[in-house]
Amino acid sequence: MLENHDSKVRMGALFTGACAVLLAACGNDSGAGPGGMGTESGGSDGDSETIQLNIMQGKVEFNEQFNELADQYMEENENVQIEITSVGGGTDYFTQLTTRFSSGDEPDIFSVAGPNEIEQFQDTMADMSDTEAAEAALEGTIENVTHDDGRIDAIPYNLEGYGFIYNKEVLEQAGVNPEELSTYEELQEAVETIDSQKEDLGIEAVFALPGAESWVMGDHLANVYLSPELNENPVDAYNAESLAFERADEFKNMLDLQAEYSIEPVLSLDYSQQVEEYFSLGQVAMIQQGNWIYPTLEQMDPEFAESNVGMIPIPLEGYEDQLPVGVPNYWAVNSNNDDATVQAAKDFLDWMYLSDEGKEFVVSEFNFVPAYEGYEDMEISDPLSQTVYDYSQNGETLGWVFTGFPTGYQLNEFGPNLQAYLGGNMSWEEAIEASKQAWESMRQ
Amino acid sequence: MKNKEFTFWLFITPVLLSLTLVVILPVVMGLFYSFTNWNGLNFTSFVGFNHYKRLLGDGQFLRSLWFTVKFSIASIILLNVIGLSLALLVTSKLKSRNILRTVFFMPNLIGGLILGFIWQFIFIRVFASIGELIGVESLQVWLATPGTGFWGLVILTVWQMAGYIMIIYIAYLQGVPKELLESAEIDGATPFQKFRHVIFPLIAPAFTVTMFLTLSNSFKIYDQNLSLTGGGPYNSTQMVAMNIVDTAFSGNQMAYGQSKAIIFFLIVAVISLSQVYYNKKREVDL
Repeated sequence: MLENHDSKVRMGALFTGACAVLLAACGNDSGAGPGGMGTESGGSDGDSETIQLNIMQGKVEFNEQFNELADQYMEENENVQIEITSVGGGTDYFTQLTTRFSSGDEPDIFSVAGPNEIEQFQDTMADMSDTEAAEAALEGTIENVTHDDGRIDAIPYNLEGYGFIYNKEVLEQAGVNPEELSTYEELQEAVETIDSQKEDLGIEAVFALPGAESWVMGDHLANVYLSPELNENPVDAYNAESLAFERADEFKNMLDLQAEYSIEPVLSLDYSQQVEEYFSLGQVAMIQQGNWIYPTLEQMDPEFAESNVGMIPIPLEGYEDQLPVGVPNYWAVNSNNDDATVQAAKDFLDWMYLSDEGKEFVVSEFNFVPAYEGYEDMEISDPLSQTVYDYSQNGETLGWVFTGFPTGYQLNEFGPNLQAYLGGNMSWEEAIEASKQAWESMRQ
Repeated sequence: MKNKEFTFWLFITPVLLSLTLVVILPVVMGLFYSFTNWNGLNFTSFVGFNHYKRLLGDGQFLRSLWFTVKFSIASIILLNVIGLSLALLVTSKLKSRNILRTVFFMPNLIGGLILGFIWQFIFIRVFASIGELIGVESLQVWLATPGTGFWGLVILTVWQMAGYIMIIYIAYLQGVPKELLESAEIDGATPFQKFRHVIFPLIAPAFTVTMFLTLSNSFKIYDQNLSLTGGGPYNSTQMVAMNIVDTAFSGNQMAYGQSKAIIFFLIVAVISLSQVYYNKKREVDL
């Protein structure tokens, strides 16, 4: 009897314990919500209280340097506490951002990539038009996020550009001058020349086309041929009900050229093979990529990266020598906070892009191509970024429209259609027709 | 009586509570959201059965479903055949049987994502090198065609799970009474007859278990799919789980993805439960 009673007591204790754990877990959850955050930072005597800034951003490559910058800012501004979360890969980031917003754990500063994402978070974005950074943003970088009434949703991270990145030494030996490859015919001829001396040049193929990475074809290459009909503007792309694909033939020629002279098999070739294995080790003459590959090239072979790579635009009739340059990401400030936190967030962003310490970081630590004025005298760290900056300074750029594609269009529809074409499973006409239809049905 | 009820609820409450929180509630909410235009944050209107109607005309979803069915059939058969063979091997009088058990089970301890990347390396690089050496072209295009993508996934899954299935078979094989085997031997049964007519019927309960495990597992595979082929080439190796994730997260159509998930849940539930029901009927009792 006694024993029985004893065990019951123990059971009860266990049960109470389990409940306590559950309750504690729930309690924690609600404590971390946005309300909790606001009351923490918005005390009665605002300024002396610590302000907590939670930053969530989708460019994982510069996470370490970004944290260093934040540390420096915190040293100078002791009342600000910055906490950074970086999540890599476009879709994973957006998923997690949505999750954090829907669970109530909202970041105070977050990054958004294109018109789709901006529209979804529109209601939570503070007006940035009163920031100094918005004033200093280069022409063409901020119009896409400005409303008619002057309201600005977000400010640009940086500029990025892509084209054909070539191996200087190989082209020189083959007797090809990259400066003279501004039309498709010239490029084709050069490719054939290089291909005919493959063995002497010690390369395996002219190109490495990463067919497994549908964004290389569906976002970047397609952008070149869709940009003219969409006025080089992602917002126009975002509002377009349908696609005409006026330049589908030119697109086909360029894709065919890359596929024909590429390392095989194209469809299982991925980004890291393309950049690390084939290009940085000198196995191919050219790849279609952007200035973001520089840190990887540098890691593989600093000497090669510094002196042996160059970038040229993808030839396009009527748009010769124009490099596709765009803003991959924007910073937005959460407006669901009290004024002090919103202001602190804006101050931090202004400081990052416009103070001397910040600029130094942006250029030499982040390796960003700045999207702001006031960087004219600074030296850009690598040759590819320098090329991008030069083209944008001279206004010789082709706008990015792929950031305005319907969400998931490239990944689920367009990209696979192009892959199916390369795999011989669809004719070019079928692939284009299916992609047009997918666009229309996704825009409904 | 009252006391008994108290202890009953005392024991059952934590389980019920957590089951409600992490399973029942999400399913009910998911079902609800599938009838709205929910975007992950909020919803503005009810759309009735529109998402479900749209599903029927969604070519990629139906292809993914069919691919998943084909994949499941191939991997269920191979998993059970290989799992049982391995189990017979390591319950025989081999000297190395203990170490073999460990070796066969080992792949199951590695996470699916990592396995996917390892096998990707094997299929793309190692296979290509071997193919180049011996001049077989078909070895050089692994994972670049739908067919090789399919078999790549099957091989990966079988390699990973066969050890686990083996363990289950071992447990049942060891439960087969020695007397029965002995008397069969005395009656002059050949090893095959012994297996077919004595062992096989007695380990039927194992089939119920392994079929259930392999079936539900093959249907729900995601991480191996993601890391090995990523659905490529041209989404031909995209399984249902991946199609749902892509729809919901990269396509940002949360409610539509949710309705796919509900349909998927129903399919898996119906197939698994009817399979268990029929297999149970076939089992023999000693």
